[in-house]
Amino acid sequence: MEYVLIAVSAALVNNVILARFLGLCSFMGVTTRIDTAVGMGAATTFCITVSAMIDWAVEHYLLEPYGLGYLRTVTFILVIAASVQFTEAVVRKISPSLFQMLGIYLPLITTNCAVLGVCLLLVEGKMSFIGSTVFALASSIGYSLVMVLFAGLRERLVLAEVPRLFAGPPIGFITASLLALSFMGFSGMSAH
Amino acid sequence: MNISAANPVAAEASHLVEGIARVVEVDGTLAWLVPEQTGGCGSCASSGACGAKGIGTIESRLEMRRFSMINRSGMVVGERVVVGIAQNALVKASLTVYVLPLAIAFAAGLSAQALYGSDFVTMISMAAGLVLGFVGTWLGSRHISARGAMTPVFVRRAGPAETCRID
Repeated sequence: MEYVLIAVSAALVNNVILARFLGLCSFMGVTTRIDTAVGMGAATTFCITVSAMIDWAVEHYLLEPYGLGYLRTVTFILVIAASVQFTEAVVRKISPSLFQMLGIYLPLITTNCAVLGVCLLLVEGKMSFIGSTVFALASSIGYSLVMVLFAGLRERLVLAEVPRLFAGPPIGFITASLLALSFMGFSGMSAH
Repeated sequence: MNISAANPVAAEASHLVEGIARVVEVDGTLAWLVPEQTGGCGSCASSGACGAKGIGTIESRLEMRRFSMINRSGMVVGERVVVGIAQNALVKASLTVYVLPLAIAFAAGLSAQALYGSDFVTMISMAAGLVLGFVGTWLGSRHISARGAMTPVFVRRAGPAETCRID
């Protein structure tokens, strides 16, 4: 039950994009089509979860025992970059054809502040390893969910008659704000 | 006139995700292509100004994504062509590469947590699950590739001002 609460809180109530306003670059940039949003969302989910697992170990076995908390941000950035590169190398090795399709999303994740944000939130949460990993997975599922929802809306917006001055990113931002308002309806669902 | 009989590629085009690639080498019946840089944000026209291209040069990254096609359409080096892959292929690929290893890792981690209740054991179990998941990905990708779902198809020659679709 504890893990369910953590997951609901991370994915819906404190959504990475719509409540914490992290990862907005990819949110606006990669949501022009649903298929690219799915690709980016899946890649980000994987990298956030793997980075969170490694960052938890680094925090608990290295930074905290030796009083190196001031190096946390730099260390986490290094871990994220390394895990993205590792994922890229593994995917390229085990499936070159899949890498050709999905490899484009991986470098974008290195600079996605949502990944670092989730890893830093884990430290504040002081959760167990599995709790941290569930939190990271749920946060990234929330991120992917919003990406796909927004991509669907933008695909419909292309067909809508929009005043010339609002066409493109402006109407996108207005739609995003309405989506954020709708996500506020989830607040109060979680004990966290 | 039956369109699909006259032009099967055109009939299938509505089910394809299109992209633009440049022919870099023609070797007998085989053409080697490199996809145009899209920066992942669907704005290939402004890729030169995009700062989110990752570690390494653009050229090296594109070279890694080089792919081959049977040259039935008489493509020549330097030509820009529109290629397509099946619309659901990207979703299938994402599920195979990212979701499968994570699912196996979580199954292993939750089982270990329930059995031993130790963070260290859970961590090792999840790492092992991840490795096992990648083995599953390898097998899954072989299956998908054998069915030809990931193979790009030639759609048409790209116009001089044509860029990747961002609709």
